[in-house]
Order: sequence, then structure tokens, then C-alpha cells
Amino acid sequence: MQGFLLGLANGSSCLAFCAPALIPFFMHEGQDVRQNLVTLFKFLGGRMGGYLLIGLLAWGAGSLLSGAAGYQRLLIGIAYVGLAALLLVAVLRKKAPAGACAFEGARARLSRWPALLPVGMGLLAGLKICPPLLLAFTGAASAGSLAGSMVFFLAFFLGTSIYFIPIPFLGVFRRASALQIVGQFAAVIVALYYLFAGAILLIAG
Amino acid sequence: MQKLKAILGYTWAALLIPLAVATLFGMGSWMGLLVSGTGLTVSPWFTGDVVARTVEHAGYETRIHRPVFQALIGERREGFVQVDWGPLEALPAQVDEEVDFDGDGQADFRVVLDTASGQATLTPLTETVLNLAGTYRLDDAWAMRATLKNPRR
Amino acid sequence: MTAQTETKPRKPGLGVLKSLLLLLPILLLSFLFLAGGPPGEDPLPFIAGIVTWLALNILFFLMLYTGKTYRYRRVLFVALALTLIITFAASILGTRGSLSLTDADVLQGKTPFCFLVIPTIIIPALFTRTIIFPGSLLTGFAPIASMLVLWAGATLLVGRGWCSWLCFYGGLDEGFSRVLKKPVIKSIDRRWTYLPWAVLLGVVLLSAVTLSPAYCEWLCPFKAVTESAAITSTLILIQTIIFVTLFVGLVVVLPMLTRRRTQCALFCPLGPLQSLANKINVFDVRIDPEKCSRCKLCIRSCPTLSLDEASLESGRTLMSCTKCGQCVDACPRKAISFHIKGTKVGIGAGAARVLFLYPTFIFFAAFGGSIISSAILTVLKLVTTGSMY
Repeated sequence: MQGFLLGLANGSSCLAFCAPALIPFFMHEGQDVRQNLVTLFKFLGGRMGGYLLIGLLAWGAGSLLSGAAGYQRLLIGIAYVGLAALLLVAVLRKKAPAGACAFEGARARLSRWPALLPVGMGLLAGLKICPPLLLAFTGAASAGSLAGSMVFFLAFFLGTSIYFIPIPFLGVFRRASALQIVGQFAAVIVALYYLFAGAILLIAG
Repeated sequence: MQKLKAILGYTWAALLIPLAVATLFGMGSWMGLLVSGTGLTVSPWFTGDVVARTVEHAGYETRIHRPVFQALIGERREGFVQVDWGPLEALPAQVDEEVDFDGDGQADFRVVLDTASGQATLTPLTETVLNLAGTYRLDDAWAMRATLKNPRR
Repeated sequence: MTAQTETKPRKPGLGVLKSLLLLLPILLLSFLFLAGGPPGEDPLPFIAGIVTWLALNILFFLMLYTGKTYRYRRVLFVALALTLIITFAASILGTRGSLSLTDADVLQGKTPFCFLVIPTIIIPALFTRTIIFPGSLLTGFAPIASMLVLWAGATLLVGRGWCSWLCFYGGLDEGFSRVLKKPVIKSIDRRWTYLPWAVLLGVVLLSAVTLSPAYCEWLCPFKAVTESAAITSTLILIQTIIFVTLFVGLVVVLPMLTRRRTQCALFCPLGPLQSLANKINVFDVRIDPEKCSRCKLCIRSCPTLSLDEASLESGRTLMSCTKCGQCVDACPRKAISFHIKGTKVGIGAGAARVLFLYPTFIFFAAFGGSIISSAILTVLKLVTTGSMY
């Protein structure tokens, strides 16, 4: 549940980061709503693969830390504070950071296999190291088991995906900028929450 | 079609007047219906949940509530159990009691409570009891909450 | 046609007789709500009730007679907010003895329920069938069930109009927004109007995870003027600083400098929920593009930034419109009007306005009137006996 809700909270900022490249892709590649939906599901499939891979890495990181139980809270606290600060900087910058969405590179490499293009873009989006993902990574690393970590990221994926579902429907393009702005504000609020949660962990020990 | 929409609109608008009156005059009924129809209660994280068992003493009683582990879905890894002692005027200067909150016949923790100041110490006797969350002076009782580990998670 | 023979434009209001006739049912209903029976040994409750009854009905009459909505609604709305502070303090001091909220008060459900909590309790209520608020369901001051019924009824009646007619906090930033004659900060970046949606998302999710009312615990500016936890730890000190900062900034200073209702338009998470509920409300405010001269006076005067250039083209306000009547009264061409969905814009605008005012005012008279009357009674008792009770 925490993973799902984290995904819901951060999904709007995920969309805020990726929308500038993602929406033109759908507008360019997609034709009717049904085709757009197929493309979207391929994209989400790739994203899920990326997230599950991250979940595996998170479990590995958590296992490495489990021996240092006394330092786990300290490290998670540092991670929360650092990542929250990173999220704040990323959101408050005027432009998206360079390479934040490396879709153009993927398109060039996958142009020989057009059916795989949305899957590849989804995988890249899933593996894109952005602050919301890193916050989820920290949460999953403390899940304790491989299954727990994978479930955490699956739930995170489901939570973020809700924001991508309206994309194939043309009418939502008009609302895309509104969603982006809400996403940016929501990212700031989430970042402040993690900043505070991390500070509490560091102070309380 | 336009005429029909206009008639519906005006009718709907006019019906809001008796709705306003019915809401206000029928407040008591609506409130009761809301509670009984939905089965809503206040979250046990605030109320301490219902009293599961009572232990009688000379002049006062110990009320042991149901443990609380409520989460949005399923249960949390940690929760608490609330224990009350009352009425206030019948309490001894110090309450020293071993509490079995799960009814398995085995004491789970020992609490020593100073009923004048509210200072308390808690000694866990089983693995599920973690620490003392706090003591609270209610209108007619002293309450204490002990943090618990969820044995089912 | 010469200037002398030009027809005078019709006055926006109703005549005296029509206004009085329409006032009669409100006179009767509000009397039933407020008079509280014949005066007993203590005449003060009756006096407080009658004073409130008179004030409400005079203002309603003026609304009907002059055809102006905003300035009379504003008087009521600001009065509601100010008297709420008095009524709230008196009730809490009477039941708990202190405005500070203690853990023991929380355990015993002694916290009065507030509408601002509503967005945060929905998901937990659906999943757990419990209300994540330390109040009482049926008894005490502002029990949960009564406030939920009032809110649901009001939302069906007025939708987002809640924010300008029934919210007992909105009058505070509305009042401060009228202090200066001209704005010091003349324009606000429209992107800020999306912040309430982000606040809504944040508090709803945080409350669902923690099963506690996140907005009340962290972000409510009105904790500065009602009740909050006694400062017994650093955490509570931080929370108190946040509440006071938000209140001073969003409710006092920014409204004064911008002459806009900044708390309501740019922060409150209940607003977006009411905007969504407004989709099923029959009343809205519309602009007749043919009459509109694009003077943009409405855009400049809207307290909640609910009008923009696109509104003038489409003839519709933004979904944040609280139906306060400011633009309707301000428009020199009478191009803006209250409107019933399904009807033609500009036709029957007077009837639409009266049909909107009626249930709204009935609700205000009962709900707001009781708060105002209670505050007047408290002040009368304090002045005559030296005690609030």
C-alpha cells in the first residue's frame, strides 16, 4: 500500500518530468485512441520491466545494509534528505535537466524494430533515475525481502501509471500543462515531507 | 429539447428549496441514518478501540481494550493496546498490575502507575510488547497505551 | 431617438412589494431556526436570536431589492467567520476548559469536526469504515455526523458556492482582502491556482497512509485562531509555527496586498473537492459573449481568480468559481449572470438568481445564523454578567 500511494504521490511529478517528450511521441506516433492505447500498454509494459529490475536492485541494496542494522535508519535518513533536496532542485529549475528523458536516443536505436519502440521507451522511463524513483528505491530497500521489494515497486508502478492512462485520449492534451503544474507542486510537497521524515530519522537516530 | 432541458433545470433548482429545509429540519434523522446505515465509527487509533475485557478490583476496574493494528489495507507491523483504570476517585495512589491483553492466560506486561502524577513504568513480559507510548488523564480514568509488535506480521 | 426619449435601463432588483413577498418565507423559516421559542427567564438568548434574525432578513431583502449580491453576501460571510471564532472559543472553553488540545482530549473524542478534514477522511472511510478524526460521532460540539450531513446537503445545494456562502473560514481572508482600497500586488501568476489540487493530492495520500488527518496536523492555517495542541515538544512547536505562518501569510497579508482571497483560491484543499462536486450542481455563473465588451473588469475583480480571457470567449467561469456574485454586480453591461444549467444564458437571469439565493440563504440562516446568534449571546453574557456562560 505504501508503494502504491508513493507512486500516486510521485506519479504526477513523473509525468511532469516525462510529459514534454512523451506527449509529443504519442501525438506523433499514435493515430486513433485504440492504437494509442496499444502503444501505451507497450510503454507501460516496458516501464514495469524497468521498475521490477530496480526493485531487484533495491532488495540487493537492502540486503547489504541489513547487516548494519544500527546504521540503516541513519542511511535511510540521509537518503531521504538528500533525495528530497534533489527533487526540490529538479522541480524548481526552469528547464528539465538535460537527458532527463533520453527518448530521442532510444528512438534512434530502436528505429529498426518499430514494434519494440514503445517497449524500449517504457523500459528507459522505468530505469530513468529521477528523484521520485530514488525515493521509492529507498522505501523498497527497507522492505526486508525480495518479494517485499518487488511488490513495493509493482505497487509504485501501478500508482504512477494512473497518470499515464489519460494520455492516449486526445482531449487530455489540453489539460496536460495543468497536470504538469499540479505535478510540480505535488513533487514539492512530497519533497518537503521526505525532507522532514529524513530529518526526524537523523535526529532521532 | 431546449425547452425540456430548461424545464428540468428549473425543476431541479426549485427542488433544492425543499431539500434545504428537509436537510435542516431532519438533521437528527439524517445523522442517525448516516451512522447506522454506514456503520462508521471513529478510528481506533484515536478511541483505543472497544473494551475487550474488564478486571474488577476493590472499588475500581481495569479495562483492557482490543489491540489496534489498523492500516488502510490489512494491518500494520506495529500498533498499541490501551488500558484504562477508573473511576479516578477510587484509584489507589499506585497501580501495580500485570496485564494479559490477549487473554491467553499469560501476563504480557507489568505496569506501575502513579495515579497522582501519571508517571508510569512498563516492563514487557513477552516479545510482542515493545514500550510505553504514554499515559493520559481522562475525565474519569487514567489511560495508558503500550506499543505492540504485530504477531501476525 | 434623442437622448431624452431613450428608455432608462431596468433596475437590476425587484420592486419593494415583490422583494417583501419573496422575503416572507425566509422570515418565517429563519424565525423557526433562530428564535428558539418564546423568551424564558433569561431574555438574552431570545435577544441574540432576534438581532440575528433581523440582520439576516434585512440583508436578504436588500439583496432582492437592489439586485446586488456581493456586498451584502460579504457582510454576512465576514460576520460568520468572526463570530465563529467567538462561538468556537466559548464552546471549547465550556467543554474542555482550555483551547489547547491535549492527548487526553483526542482519546475522548473532544475535538469538534471541521469541514476542511473531509477530503482526507474519504479514502480511509471507504477502506476501513472508520473516520480518521478524534471527534465524537453524534454528541458534543460539532459532532462528526452532523457536520457531514450539513456539508453533504450544502454541497448538493450550492456546489463550489460553499466557499463564498457557507464556509465559516472564508470570511476571514475575504474580510482582509477588502482592507486596502487598491492592490499592492496587482497580478498573481495563474499557475498558483493549481496549488490547491496539489495540496489536496498530498494530504489525501498522506492521510490514507498514516490514517491521521494530515491537513489538520500540518497545514491548516485556521489552527491559529481556533484550537491546536499545547506546545509540549519541538514537533508541536514546528507545527504551530507552520499554522501561524500560513495564517498570517495566506489569510491576512496576501489578501490585503492582492485584494484576492488567496487562502481560498491558492491553498485550501476543500476547494477542488467542491469544484468537482459543482459538476452536479444546477447553478453556475455565465457570461453572455454578445453583451460582453471585453473590458475585463470581471477578471480584475474576481476574488478567486476564476475568470480569464478564455472565460470571456467561452462564456463560462473557471471551475473554481464560488458564485460570490462579485462579477455579476461589477459588470457594467450586465453580461454576467447567475444561471441554471439547461437554460439559455441571459434569459431568466433574475429568476435563476432568486432560485440560487433561496436555498442558499435558508441554509445560511440555519447554519450561519446559529453561529452568529451564539456569538452575540456570548458577548451579551460577557458584558452583562462578566461570564460567557
